[in-house]
Amino acid sequence: MSVLKKLKGNLFIIIVVLAYMVMFIVRPEMGMASVKNSAYYIKEMLMIMPVIFILTALLDLWLPKDKVIRYLGKEAGAKGVVFSFVLGSISAGPVYAAFPMCVMLHKKGASIRNLVIILSSWAVIKIPMLLNEAKFLGLKFMAIRWVLTVIAIIIFSWITAKIVRDKDLPEAAPAQTGLSLNRDACMGCSLCVKHCPELFEMEGKKARIRPGSEPGDKEKLRQAMEACPVKAIS
Amino acid sequence: MDVFTMAIWAGTLIFLLISLAKDREKTKKALRMAFGMGRGMVVSILSIIFAIGLILTVLPPEEIARFVSGQSVLAATLVAALIGTITLVPGFIAFPLVGTLVGAGVSVVPAVAFLTTLTMVGVVTFPLEKKEFGVKFTAVRNGLSFVFAIIIALVMGVII
Repeated sequence: MSVLKKLKGNLFIIIVVLAYMVMFIVRPEMGMASVKNSAYYIKEMLMIMPVIFILTALLDLWLPKDKVIRYLGKEAGAKGVVFSFVLGSISAGPVYAAFPMCVMLHKKGASIRNLVIILSSWAVIKIPMLLNEAKFLGLKFMAIRWVLTVIAIIIFSWITAKIVRDKDLPEAAPAQTGLSLNRDACMGCSLCVKHCPELFEMEGKKARIRPGSEPGDKEKLRQAMEACPVKAIS
Repeated sequence: MDVFTMAIWAGTLIFLLISLAKDREKTKKALRMAFGMGRGMVVSILSIIFAIGLILTVLPPEEIARFVSGQSVLAATLVAALIGTITLVPGFIAFPLVGTLVGAGVSVVPAVAFLTTLTMVGVVTFPLEKKEFGVKFTAVRNGLSFVFAIIIALVMGVII
């Protein structure tokens, strides 16, 4: 069953690999062209992703939860909306660069609505993109599209928040019913052992829950769960 | 590297130095976390990138433009929006392309639909987004983005 599950989880990767294999057999020159096309995106990723990961981790550790709730939480209202637009607009890189950042912010209390605003403005109306647009399509075109897009994002972020609840997002699931550690995901960084030595231990290259242990200190456990880079503890 | 990427690098490095001065252990932990995040995402991101490379070869933007310019506005808008959904093209290719299209007399409606779905809706990024945010969030966000991309395009067609 676990093999099947693994296959399902990596379905997209498998399809891509297969597509390349077929391409290289049937039309090798098109296969080469595809690899060449990918090179640009790899460069783009290498320029932005390392810094996004570092920034996300730093914010994760230093940004106080109450600040996130105040500025991006459910009660933040119009202030939260404006703040989210600004955050998304001053970004750089493709939309997937926004994913780790948004997951972290949501964990700290940002609302679904503001998450959608950050993601969407990161995708279509970030300032570097607007500058490019004005250059090729004119200032008027850019300005009108910007206004319309902002209005659209305000509307559909509101709709999304009506449909999607916090509990629909994977990391928001509360871990009250027993503790589990996904050893397939664990990468053996031992952060959880450092946080909660009474609860976790290393077994070979991966962490495990100490047999027969009881989660005592909730706060320490929560820290360990948050520290886990692959979120394997739930 | 554009100014914004550089600014983010500079800001993050300063943040990192301040963090290091304040709390060495915490900073080390942050770096380990960053590394872990990268490891968790790298395979997904690479598969997205190679998928885009493949799609761009099979469906080059110039082909799309030629195809779209031969259709009626409504059909062109739908096709442009759909194709924009599948691919993910950087601004510096997309904008000049759309610029020439509009310059050549093609309606702005399909052009705008293409531009918006190109970046906001992602079929190739769907698996990764699903992993990070869950199926429901991803489906609703992408679905609504698609619908609104077409609305934005239609309204723009009326205004311009």
